[in-house]
Amino acid sequence: MIVRLEKFLFWLIIFLFAFIPLYPKFPLLNVAGTFVAVRLEDVFIALAYLVWGAYLLLSKQIGIFLKDKLNRALMLFFFVGLVSLFSANFLTHTTLLPLSLLHWIRRLEFMMLLPLVVTVIKTKKQLVICLLTLSAVVLLVNIYALGQQYLHWPVISTTNSEFSKGLILSLSPGARVNSTFAGHYDLAVFLAMVLVLISTLFFALNRKFKIFSLGLGLLSFWVLIMTAARLSFVAAFAGIFGSLVLLKKFKFILLLAMIMLGVLIYPSQLRDRLISTVTVNIFGQGERYKGQTEDQRIRSKLNIPTLAIKTSSESAETSIFATGSAGIASDITPGEPIDTTQLGVYRSFSIRLNLEWPRAITAFLKNPFLGTGYSSLGIATDNDFLRSLGEVGMLGTAVFILIFIEIIKKIVRLLRENDKFLRYFSIGTLSLILAFVINGLFIDVFEASKVASLFWMIVGLNLSVRNFK
Amino acid sequence: MKKIFLIFSFLLLIYMMWPGPSSINQFNALPDSEKSKLEGDTVQIPNVAAYFSNNFRNFVVPFYSDNYQNLVKLPLPPLKLNHPPEFSWTAIKRHTDTTYLEELVYPLRDSLYVNGFEPFEETGDPKYWGATKFEIGSSVWFTKTTLRFYPSLVWVKVVTWLGIILSTALLYRMGRAILK
Repeated sequence: MIVRLEKFLFWLIIFLFAFIPLYPKFPLLNVAGTFVAVRLEDVFIALAYLVWGAYLLLSKQIGIFLKDKLNRALMLFFFVGLVSLFSANFLTHTTLLPLSLLHWIRRLEFMMLLPLVVTVIKTKKQLVICLLTLSAVVLLVNIYALGQQYLHWPVISTTNSEFSKGLILSLSPGARVNSTFAGHYDLAVFLAMVLVLISTLFFALNRKFKIFSLGLGLLSFWVLIMTAARLSFVAAFAGIFGSLVLLKKFKFILLLAMIMLGVLIYPSQLRDRLISTVTVNIFGQGERYKGQTEDQRIRSKLNIPTLAIKTSSESAETSIFATGSAGIASDITPGEPIDTTQLGVYRSFSIRLNLEWPRAITAFLKNPFLGTGYSSLGIATDNDFLRSLGEVGMLGTAVFILIFIEIIKKIVRLLRENDKFLRYFSIGTLSLILAFVINGLFIDVFEASKVASLFWMIVGLNLSVRNFK
Repeated sequence: MKKIFLIFSFLLLIYMMWPGPSSINQFNALPDSEKSKLEGDTVQIPNVAAYFSNNFRNFVVPFYSDNYQNLVKLPLPPLKLNHPPEFSWTAIKRHTDTTYLEELVYPLRDSLYVNGFEPFEETGDPKYWGATKFEIGSSVWFTKTTLRFYPSLVWVKVVTWLGIILSTALLYRMGRAILK
């Protein structure tokens, strides 16, 4: 019975490794007050937890499970989350109970995948099967991204409330590929993780697999450039740099620098956005929109969307900022760059700097111990560390940091492993964590369902090495 | 370390349980103002009050900060948090007209939101197109201030305190185990 459960769980994990990244984000059940929906993958993950719970009880591993420091830290994290949830709903009144519960359950769902994988994967063969599945998934994800770009394959997106209803779209000119990830940033984060792992494991593979991994790496790199996600690009390079240092492959660092330089020279949307980041956000360059009427200029300074907008039936002079003609965005306001690429880069930074980050800091100040609860900061903060401080305060953030310290300590111990492949896999996971954390500085990666689930599963895969027979 | 923790727990409990206002009616009316009797400003939403006056933000927020501190009688004034004006639709009520929203808060206790709607500058110049004064009966006012108070119940504060203390103790033990 226990052996059967073990086998079933193993194949369920393999299934999740494929299903989570590949299944488009079609909603199964909408939740009132948010455009986060329950999806089919949540059902399968819940099923995995049910079977896993039965397995832990029947195999009497529950005791061992509860003795592990990492698992205890995870339990503490969820406990602090519950205390924060209580305080947010009844003390600070900053969330609604169903929404905050939903977001707490989401954290639980993503993070518990780590101990699930750790308990179930017991041999190197199982680990290799997982990694091969992941490789096939990466290949399919990349092929689908290219299909979206060049063959108009369907796009499912969750970048706004309307799209997240499961609309089937196609890529408009200038839009960025998202493959099966429903958001180009999520795809880029996934590819950054994959690139770091591939570039590390490349050195541990035989000739046949080296060629395959090189091809897969180049394909992933190409698609990463197509997403034009600046931070994930930087994170991928930082992760690869970290792994090369740990592997002591110093010559390859030069090659890495040359590739980076090549990306900065070769014309692409990514290059334009990287350059605009420096010229527009740091040096304040770029031609700015001045506004057509005095009312526009006043309103843009006041910037209160709930105030009445001037409209006139007698004159064309209204408060609508631009007409969308001459390549100017229809919602542009005075002071913003006219160039659309520069405008995107400018808004991407200013929304973080002027709205999302101050909102998280305010939440932290309001309740430094517990924050203002899950979901209180809206759908995004675009900085996972500020989000953590704002949502679960010092206590929740401290436990979250402890979880990472314990994970890193466990992986560092695995660097003494005799098996070259397993040792290199540990180096790859350490570098992957670095890349993921860098991504977390500007994107809420720990709340992005697909990438967060995969992150905890891959880390779990690495930690399972300790249990190998 | 145990002694420090016990002292901290005790002080936190005293701070959280310290008596304070329990209703918006305990806060003072703005000087030289008229209380709004409009729907939504009286009994429809709990702990809301609104005043028409010629008082502007520079006066209103410090006024309520002092008033709040006097009611609580703690040595420190409440923390002042500035929110985006449109957040008033969540913090005060839907369709609240606004040009600023500030929160006066004693962390882990209660909050007083001060929402101001000032269509005119203090000089009398309109701030935006369509700015009008408030005509209430025979009086004309420049500003409307809406307050919403979020008090907290004693049992809620006790449970939260217990949660914080227990979490801190467990975090300390966990930290020692992981960092050693």
